[in-house]
Amino acid sequence: MAAGLCTVIRSANEVMVLAAKAARGAGVPPEQASRFGAAAVLHLGGGGALDPLDAALQAGPDGPIMSLPLVITRIAEGHKGGIAQGLLAPDPSGLANSYVAALPCEASLQRDGTVRIDFNRPAIRPVVSRIDLPDEIYGAWSVLAARLLVPESEVSRSCGAGSATSDND
Amino acid sequence: MKDCFDAPPQLPLRPPAQVMRLSRMGSMFPSRLSFLRSLTRRLAAERARITRQVWEICADGFGHAVFSIDLGGHTYSLVAVSKDLPAHMRTDRVIATAWDSSYVLYDGVPEAEEIARITANAPLQEAGRFGPRDLILSRANKSVRLFAHVVEALRAGRQPDASMIEEVGYLMRTTAVYGNGKFGIADRATFDSRPGLEGPFAAEMLTVWLIRHFTHALVEHVGRGKLDPAIRRHLGIGNSTGLGMAPFLVAHPVLLNNWMLVRETALARVLAVGHLTDAQRRRLAALAVRAAAHLGQWRVPDPAHQARIEALRVDWAAAALLLAPEKLTGEMPLAAILSGVGHLGEDAQELMVSLLLEPFGDLVDGLTECMADPFGAVAPPLGDTDALRHRIADDFDWALATDYTDPAECGQFWYVSEAKMEPRLGLRFLEEGAALESPLDIGRRVKAAYDDLPPSPEPVSTFLARYPEHALAVERVSLSQRYPYAEIRDNLIAQSCLPIDMLRCKLSFFGASGFDPKSDRWTRVTLCQGAPLAEELDAGGDDWWLPVYAP
Repeated sequence: MAAGLCTVIRSANEVMVLAAKAARGAGVPPEQASRFGAAAVLHLGGGGALDPLDAALQAGPDGPIMSLPLVITRIAEGHKGGIAQGLLAPDPSGLANSYVAALPCEASLQRDGTVRIDFNRPAIRPVVSRIDLPDEIYGAWSVLAARLLVPESEVSRSCGAGSATSDND
Repeated sequence: MKDCFDAPPQLPLRPPAQVMRLSRMGSMFPSRLSFLRSLTRRLAAERARITRQVWEICADGFGHAVFSIDLGGHTYSLVAVSKDLPAHMRTDRVIATAWDSSYVLYDGVPEAEEIARITANAPLQEAGRFGPRDLILSRANKSVRLFAHVVEALRAGRQPDASMIEEVGYLMRTTAVYGNGKFGIADRATFDSRPGLEGPFAAEMLTVWLIRHFTHALVEHVGRGKLDPAIRRHLGIGNSTGLGMAPFLVAHPVLLNNWMLVRETALARVLAVGHLTDAQRRRLAALAVRAAAHLGQWRVPDPAHQARIEALRVDWAAAALLLAPEKLTGEMPLAAILSGVGHLGEDAQELMVSLLLEPFGDLVDGLTECMADPFGAVAPPLGDTDALRHRIADDFDWALATDYTDPAECGQFWYVSEAKMEPRLGLRFLEEGAALESPLDIGRRVKAAYDDLPPSPEPVSTFLARYPEHALAVERVSLSQRYPYAEIRDNLIAQSCLPIDMLRCKLSFFGASGFDPKSDRWTRVTLCQGAPLAEELDAGGDDWWLPVYAP
């Protein structure tokens, strides 16, 4: 993390949800956005740099948020008896490794780019509990996420929980 | 599955095509598999004790208190803050900014500095900031009339009016119970392997049970008197809940599968019981009487829902005849009972499902350990687009049958509100925002993917490279291989979709009773009504299915 940045320590779930929403706001379809959220938490929780995540969001549908899940799917669909193996292109940013680590089943990425996925075994991954996220990044991701928000209509307001009743009953 | 090595016999499970329809899910009742029941069984097994650590509450009932409880080798504390809330600020709506009371379930016993931090932040709720030892965040408003009445009665040296206790059933109602990292509180993954908190929403349920304890203590403090235990037992915690809860079931397909699969497996085990003992026959008959009494006390202001309750009472009168002890002497009598209510409404059928589980804890309680989702969605990808096509045809026929261009079939859309970032449901042809729709339209998405499948097989990755927008649909279809109960098999954007059905399904798993729908989008319910009090855990106290108030 760059010196001098204000940070707020956030829960892993806050960061995962925010990253996924930011990806959606950047124009990424929902499934790929969810995968990005899961990978982002493991990436940051494992000490990865923010830059690749930020760059991925900037690239939106034209970047790794779309391409990495597809490459992993290509490897996975060649599985035999639930075990798949294949090669990933080198990724010095570590983002590919985070995507592999975020798979729900046991999976690993070797230094030579070999990915091994075992669909017969669930993933055992470290628990990420807190993540330092600079305010600047949080703000930028929040702006992207806000692109999905819809102003409530009067109709919606009149139908929501607690509406049309006295709560002093 | 813990007991899978010695699983009891079972009949075939009811198929997802029957069970996963929204109207049936919206007919569910709490059962002994519900999370509150699991929690109180656990608390009772551990002989858990509540300790009052702090009671800084003034004579009018404002201040803060801390209660601690040991569970599974850990100590948890409820920090409760009670404020003097002007009537004009009391609202159950999510836009509220102040509440009668606010709560944090804390990991451990908080020192003074931590108490000061929590009492400063908890009343702010979403505007506050919380830390990794804050496990759950909640707030509740008073039932003003019942709280005032109970205080007045106690101060006059008498017990409160029985009819008011029965009618309202709680002193406060929660309007949110936040978990899993919201606003900086602890991620669920940091404590979900602890004994007693492994189950879904276990920490939330523990919080609710402790809040109920606090409300009893608070009203007795302000009323300067003691409530009869029977009254305290019947005073649960209200809950006002709306659309914010609905998308959860769609966003967590593995959890939904596990909840429903456990329930159906439990039912299948019970239906396979060959013969009943005399005690089991008497128990079933007594439960039928209790259910009838509960239905008799279940009254709601909404005329349409009241009519539904009254129809259920009529159905139940017929269903209960099947539970007479002399009718239960044949072979596989429980399967015959479920078959015997097949012509009745779904409410009666699902009430019977819950009832049939009740006497058979030894057969079904162990299954509750399979209701969490510790691993995530583990499903191998489908081989090619032909495999995808066949899987869709087999498991998503309900989605293919719908014409999503028909305005009646796409008249609503889910979105996230700008004001509170909460899920909402809009009318597609009357309101703005459909372009920013949330992906709860699983049926429509699967059909769209199906329509784009190539005539000749190709790898799914090749298909997704061409149509990346179908990735969610492909994922959901892949999951159906291992998680047959993962999908609500209805069109959630249809004009006719009733979100209240999703709420009732989820709330029934919590253990809520007394559903009191205020519209098709939000409801009040009661939690912990009839649940054992803190001092009753020694006695086991698991017999509180469908509470009946009998002063």
